[in-house]
Amino acid sequence: MAPTEDGGVPVAQVDSPVRPATGEPAGRPGGLLDARLLLLLVVLALGSRSLLADAVDSPALQTWSTIFVSIAIQALPFLVLGVLVSGALSALLPPGWLARALPGRDVVAVPAAGLAGVVLPGCECASVPVAARLRAGGVRPAAALAFMLASPAINPVVLVATAVAFPGRPAVVVARFLASLLTSVVVGLVWSRLGREEWIDRARVRLVEGDTRWQSFSQTVREDFLQAGGWLVVGAMAAATLQAFVPRPVLDAVAGNHLLAALCLGLLAVVLAICSEADAFVAASLRQFPLDARLVFLVVGPAIDIKLLAMQVGVFGRRFAVRFAPLTFVVAVACALLVGRWLL
Amino acid sequence: MSRGDPAAGRRTQGAMLLVVGGTALWLGLTDASLAYVRAALRPALAASGVVLLLLAAATLRAPTAPATAAGADPAGRGPAAAGEPAGHAHGGRLGAGWLLIVPVLVLLLVAPPALGSFAASRQAPRAGGAATGAFPPLADPVDGAVPLPVSEFVSRALYDEHRSLAQARVRVLGFVTPGDHGGYRLARFNVFCCAADAEAYEIDVRGDPTPRKADQWLLVEGRWLPEPVAGGMQPSSRRPVLVAEAVTLVRPPADRYEHNLYGV
Repeated sequence: MAPTEDGGVPVAQVDSPVRPATGEPAGRPGGLLDARLLLLLVVLALGSRSLLADAVDSPALQTWSTIFVSIAIQALPFLVLGVLVSGALSALLPPGWLARALPGRDVVAVPAAGLAGVVLPGCECASVPVAARLRAGGVRPAAALAFMLASPAINPVVLVATAVAFPGRPAVVVARFLASLLTSVVVGLVWSRLGREEWIDRARVRLVEGDTRWQSFSQTVREDFLQAGGWLVVGAMAAATLQAFVPRPVLDAVAGNHLLAALCLGLLAVVLAICSEADAFVAASLRQFPLDARLVFLVVGPAIDIKLLAMQVGVFGRRFAVRFAPLTFVVAVACALLVGRWLL
Repeated sequence: MSRGDPAAGRRTQGAMLLVVGGTALWLGLTDASLAYVRAALRPALAASGVVLLLLAAATLRAPTAPATAAGADPAGRGPAAAGEPAGHAHGGRLGAGWLLIVPVLVLLLVAPPALGSFAASRQAPRAGGAATGAFPPLADPVDGAVPLPVSEFVSRALYDEHRSLAQARVRVLGFVTPGDHGGYRLARFNVFCCAADAEAYEIDVRGDPTPRKADQWLLVEGRWLPEPVAGGMQPSSRRPVLVAEAVTLVRPPADRYEHNLYGV
């Protein structure tokens, strides 16, 4: 078991041979928070629990911190699941296996990767690190991105939750599945035509090479967790800010116009950043909106929201995210409306 | 401690994993998490805490520093690492990961409370109600009243074709939110996954002349005041009305949220 928080932590490694910091530009402010400082901070915080509880007595700030902490806590198990999968991908599969296993042409590989999203039973927090690791492992970017968009929306857990939220309306489940899959395939194919390799900041995914499979597994998990987790925190802050300071009735008010309602619910999905396993329940309760607008909410949310945007900036880079996010939003709204018109 | 030292960087990573893992395990094992997520998530939280703690142990104990492939691309892994800047390919850096300390510190120092009347006042009245309008019969009364979640009361009042609430004496538990005309409402949040998806359900309470403070928890017994249904299934800004017969001040429950699928 791990050392406890109050004792004996910084013992390991103190006298280990220091590797020459190859290629490390001198003086980068990397050690800003070092291990001892970090633990000291937490021990101090433990000793002064709820110290600021009375200081933060503004209800708006309290609401903000509750929602912020809730999103972070709720996402944590799914993030851990995601990075375990990405660790297994990079450590257990033979190098290049994924790239060879997938069809070589994007026209075939993208739909295949989208459909493969069925197997990752998590919410969208899990899919970003997995997609980044897939791409680093040689999978074509368009296919990895299609997987990233599809898996949080079409896996069995989410589909069952949707069925529970819309009792007696299996068409909603089918429509969600089809519209999300369609979104992932269209975005993937558009990206394969127009996307440029250099938009993805490759350096963001740290390649690791351990001496053993266990070492490369644990390093991948560690690196991916810390990186994606950090950006998840940014996203949780943004979502909490929007929830606590932008009144919902403002968004709820535009229910009349069909197209406007669809756009509004698309924006609401981006802003609320609700986990894809819970968003069906929220969509079901937005009864003042027409059903196809609520389908837009269900299709946009897992594909792109404010929390995912932050994670994509962190994992793929800013140049990627500013192109990919609007593309995803537009395609998701269009696909949902199209499928909604046909099925609902 | 030198800044670019990979061993130091890895120690920092290990310490962060320790902190986050310890927090997750604590949340998974105690009721502290109930203000933020539903109880069903607790085993998953505890499990992820254990995973992170094991990972922290492995990180802190790693015998030698197999830090990273400093830019080297393992054969066959595709073109990904070809242009890898050396500074980035280097592992053992906390990077954006240091932000993970923020929710931990907010959790410990601020200990944010469960959502209350302020958050409820910011939501439009829930439309509520199961789509089909078919509800199972009410449960049997306990001590002279049927205990009901607020969300179920609202859903039945607005949408039950069989009007199961009529004639029944019910008992609901919730917190006070200020009402329109000096009265108050009894509210409760329904949470599906975490507090970010919480939806407020509110009942207008009549017949209780005592002024109540916002966020005070009350157990209210009384009867539904049926109102004519306005125009089909169109949701309205009406809240169902409960005529109070007995009001008791109570301590807040351990789980302040409801997790009720009737709320759908």
